Amino acid sequence: MRVVIVEDSAVLAEGLNLLLSTSGFEVVATVDQAAPFLKIVEEGGTDAAVVDIRLPPTFRDEGVQAALAARRLVPGLPVLVFSQYVEQVYARELLSDGRGGVGYLLKDRVSRVGDFIDALKRVAAGGTAIDPDVIGQLLVRRDSPLTRLTAREREVLEQMAQGLSNAEIAAKLVVTERAVHKHIGNIFAKLDLDPGDSGHRRVRAVLTYLDA
Amino acid sequence: MPDMLPFLRLTERAEKGTRAALYLSVGLGTGLVSLLILATLLVSVALVAVAGAGLIVLPVHLSLVRRWADAERRRTGSFLGRVIPPRHRPLPAGFGARLRATLLDTVTLREVAWLVWQAVAGVALGLIGMVALVGVPSTLLQTALWWMAPDGEPATLALRPVSDWPSALLLGAVQFTVLSALLLWGARPLARLHATVAAALLGRSRVDRLAERVETLSHTRAGALDAHAAELRRIERDLHDGTQARLVALAMRLGLARSRIDEDPEQAARLLAEAQSGAEEAMTELRQVIRTIYPPVLSDRGLVGAVEALAARSVVPATVSVDDLGAVPASVEATAYHLVAEALTNVAKHAEASRAEISLSRIGGWLRIAVTDDGRGGVEEGSGTGVGGMRRRVAALDGEFTVVSPAGGPTRVEALLPCGS
Repeated sequence: MRVVIVEDSAVLAEGLNLLLSTSGFEVVATVDQAAPFLKIVEEGGTDAAVVDIRLPPTFRDEGVQAALAARRLVPGLPVLVFSQYVEQVYARELLSDGRGGVGYLLKDRVSRVGDFIDALKRVAAGGTAIDPDVIGQLLVRRDSPLTRLTAREREVLEQMAQGLSNAEIAAKLVVTERAVHKHIGNIFAKLDLDPGDSGHRRVRAVLTYLDA
Repeated sequence: MPDMLPFLRLTERAEKGTRAALYLSVGLGTGLVSLLILATLLVSVALVAVAGAGLIVLPVHLSLVRRWADAERRRTGSFLGRVIPPRHRPLPAGFGARLRATLLDTVTLREVAWLVWQAVAGVALGLIGMVALVGVPSTLLQTALWWMAPDGEPATLALRPVSDWPSALLLGAVQFTVLSALLLWGARPLARLHATVAAALLGRSRVDRLAERVETLSHTRAGALDAHAAELRRIERDLHDGTQARLVALAMRLGLARSRIDEDPEQAARLLAEAQSGAEEAMTELRQVIRTIYPPVLSDRGLVGAVEALAARSVVPATVSVDDLGAVPASVEATAYHLVAEALTNVAKHAEASRAEISLSRIGGWLRIAVTDDGRGGVEEGSGTGVGGMRRRVAALDGEFTVVSPAGGPTRVEALLPCGS
């Protein structure tokens, strides 16, 4: 799989390069700014991108803008955005085109090598990987419809938002897949959502709902 | 719809004219009261000259003038859409000192000058305002009902007697035109003239302003330096006790793991795992420290974006309304952000509110931040509600801070921060 890294910190870029190439990805380019990244994307042949949020020249949210611009060039281009801190507003913006293939993670998660690689693979396959901290931010709101959920259902939702499949959630929470299926049914019912979707559309539905 | 535009402009003009005429009309009343106060003030002064008795009456009188002027400061300020700050320093205790402070205060003189202005121009312009306000509807009534006037005392329109319908309609139209023009085009300039002069007299004089500013600045500067030093110490402590300590422990585990890797690979693996979680904890902690220094979202998205992010993650549902803020200095943005964050935390912790409202607006050279909740109110400073901390933050920037929180709510926290223009 051909991956572009957009990261201005040389240390981190090198680390990511090492991590991805040893995990079976082909790193086609490492750039430190939005413009060359978009040029590479436009040339085609990129399967996924890993993008830092803060980039030169202003070190603000160029990464988010670059990711959105890249996905306007190549709709659905899998992009994993990562940052030193997470804000749910960024997650909302990244997910807003509803195409999936979006990841939004804290930089810390890179240290869990296996999880990080899994997340990138999920994103590359059109799924989502939203950081648990974002979901945590959503859970504190008192008026959130999520308050209707049981603790277990919230756990399931959190895993779901991170992009895990039912089987993966079952393994992680040490319950049967049937139980997970039932929890998800309850979640959809309690949040008045249309059941039946899977993958990133579930996350989008949840985020859209919370946005209202 | 371009053809709607002139009409809309006219309604807007009528609204503004009515507001101005109202302001002038109320000025008629306050002008008369000012005249009364002025007259009794003269008596007081005369009493001082004649007998010592005036010395007791005069200060009471002057404090009445103060309060009266404060009321007008609010009224004129709200008409002009800016704050006319009450400029008095609190009066010292003791009768003699109090008298001296009141008499020597240059503002007292300016307030007396304002009383004269209000008594003369306020009454005159107030009458015009009154005419502008009731003129249009009363013209319509007069025109329609001219025939009801008793014989020998015919109704007048446009200052001329009316004897039949054609003359009533013609003269009515003339009077209507003149009076609507007064309301639409005349009332506002007159009201602004009146308000501007009043504001100039009631506002601080340049010397006053400078003197007061030097005083508050030297006071707040000392406070700001203290706060700054305390903040640096806190950051140093957080980094030293937290992050640095964790990194040491982490390096130690890595070293141990390296020395053990051949002898006891299992223990080495355990140490590596511990080192990894140690690194993650250090990152989490570092993130929190950074957030308290300068919130990253603030530098990424600016004040409005950052406050919207705060509202989005607020425990109590919060809405944000923002006017055009213009350029806001970074230190003001940071203070504003922390204020909103603390206010929302307070709302979540103490207010038992169901919703909160954040508003950011620009009033001249000031940024106004207001957080209102529909909770139970009764916030008291110093009861561990964080209000004292907010006040200190605002004071450090030479701003103004108020909390209005009657028992039963609602609570409104408001800060005015100078933006240096």
